[in-house]
Amino acid sequence: MSLSAATSSPRTRRWQPYLAPLGLFIGLAALPFVVALLSGQSPAGVLANEAGSAKFIQGLLIEIMILAIVALSYDLVLGITGLLSFGHALFFAAGAYLTGVLLKSFGWSLGATLGLVLVSAVLQALLFGVVLPRVKGITFALVTLGLSEVFYIVVQSRELGQYTGADVGLQGVPPPDFLNPTSHRLTFYLVTLIFTFAVYLFYRLFVDSPTGRVCVAIRENENRALMLGYNTFYFKLVVLVIAAITANLAGTLHALYQPVISPNIASLNAMVDILLMTLIGGLGTLTGAPIGAAIFRLLTFFLDRWFGESASFMLGVVYVALVLFVPYGIVGTWQRRGFHLAAGRRWLLGLLTGRGDG
Amino acid sequence: MAADIILETQQLRREFGALVAVDNVSVKIRAHTFHSIIGPNGAGKTTFFNLLSGNLKPTSGRVLFKGRDITHLPLHRTAHLGIGRSFQITNIFPNLTVVENIRLAAQALGRDNFHFWRHARHFRRYEERAAAVLDQVGLAKRADAPARTLPHGDQRKLELGMLLAPDPEVLLLDEPTAGMATEQVPELIDLIQGFQAAGNKTVLLVEHNMNVVMRVSDYITVMHYGQVLAEGTPADVTANEVVQEAYLGTLYGDVATDS
Repeated sequence: MSLSAATSSPRTRRWQPYLAPLGLFIGLAALPFVVALLSGQSPAGVLANEAGSAKFIQGLLIEIMILAIVALSYDLVLGITGLLSFGHALFFAAGAYLTGVLLKSFGWSLGATLGLVLVSAVLQALLFGVVLPRVKGITFALVTLGLSEVFYIVVQSRELGQYTGADVGLQGVPPPDFLNPTSHRLTFYLVTLIFTFAVYLFYRLFVDSPTGRVCVAIRENENRALMLGYNTFYFKLVVLVIAAITANLAGTLHALYQPVISPNIASLNAMVDILLMTLIGGLGTLTGAPIGAAIFRLLTFFLDRWFGESASFMLGVVYVALVLFVPYGIVGTWQRRGFHLAAGRRWLLGLLTGRGDG
Repeated sequence: MAADIILETQQLRREFGALVAVDNVSVKIRAHTFHSIIGPNGAGKTTFFNLLSGNLKPTSGRVLFKGRDITHLPLHRTAHLGIGRSFQITNIFPNLTVVENIRLAAQALGRDNFHFWRHARHFRRYEERAAAVLDQVGLAKRADAPARTLPHGDQRKLELGMLLAPDPEVLLLDEPTAGMATEQVPELIDLIQGFQAAGNKTVLLVEHNMNVVMRVSDYITVMHYGQVLAEGTPADVTANEVVQEAYLGTLYGDVATDS
């Protein structure tokens, strides 16, 4: 059933949930070559990093996959564990900025940079963990939002401008040659693809694991989980650490891929975008996150094109319509075989106010 | 019957503003007995229960488990001592399946809570325990249904199953039959009594339904206006003049039909 999605029996059908993702993975790996063929390029041109549709498609998919990783990590926190955080953009932005600054200003190698990004990710999760037992529900969301806003202000400060580029953003981050998205687009594309699927696979396994099931139980009824003897704090902390590491690494990919790291990725707007992506796909489904990320990316592209200045207003309209009419999101609605509006709205409201339903 | 005290309250008191809901209640629960607390609505039974189970902190007084002070123990620690609790309001994981509700209860006290990638169902001992408990409470056929789709009576059984799964030494039950159809009540009470007798467990039952209590209890504590009015075996309590006058005589009929 639906939210418990992960209850397939292990012996008979254990491999089955992974079949579709595996097919998608192979399809996506082959896609640049297919696109090249269809557009009259030679597949060898893809390997030689020729400009054209194939290269453009890879770029678009890289952006979508980076968003998908962030959305996945947010779904683990909010959709699976029911922990309402509005500070998730911090994880992504901190990963991006730290990567950018270490590579550019300090000339660190990518390996060493990744090491420090991991350490810093764990510290960010622990920072949220300090807040965790002290405030609940919407208050936790607001405090984490505050932490993220502090970061947003700090990276824009003039004092740090020589490292972060202040409000202009961080430019000219030198990616290592073999991973240069301009000259080695296919490598970057495949690395991002592998990482995205690795994250998805690990999250799937996690949700089915004893720890993951307790996280779902916490979302469903935290008080009951406590009464059963689970110290729910540690489970939420584990989830925050996993999500922080994931989103920070997505930030690293973002820093390597984008010519400019804009401070806006740490803003409330970015947070709202992350929430929208998971909502579109369906909270608590995992599969919904990448689908939501893809739709969101294309949606913003076309809304910008059609509505120009008022695109963000139209995005707001989509938001409201989604909450009112598709509360379970695309995948959630499909899994439930129906819209169930009243129940869905109650369920969503419960999650978004940090109360859970029941 | 063993005379050792497993659970004890000392001068337990809880105030809500000017109201004293529980007024210096000292009760001793003997191990391996079926002990019930009765009293009319507003007698402070549920508040007393919540103080015992750690859901409320007392204004003053102590709760002792096997002589150890557990008054200020965090909520999640109590289960590890071997105390299981259930409440008047159904308290389950509504969107999870019936079997998973019970498996989570069985897993809680084990050592496998921090396994990140092995499928939960590969941990056979919790699976088997869950299956056994499902049989015990008669929900085996509904194992894969989402808990929220069960009728109310079955949800109460599920809740009892979640309680039994970790095999606790002491069961604290606050009106486990609340809201159940009258004809379903004996079945659930028999289940509880069977568990108590078979495992030589201790049960503390807060109940409204006098008939039920008289039939299954070894000891009864009668509460009235936040205080203990009388204590003893069902025969003692029924024979007690104070109880008869203050409670049974006037209220017995009301209470029995009320539930």
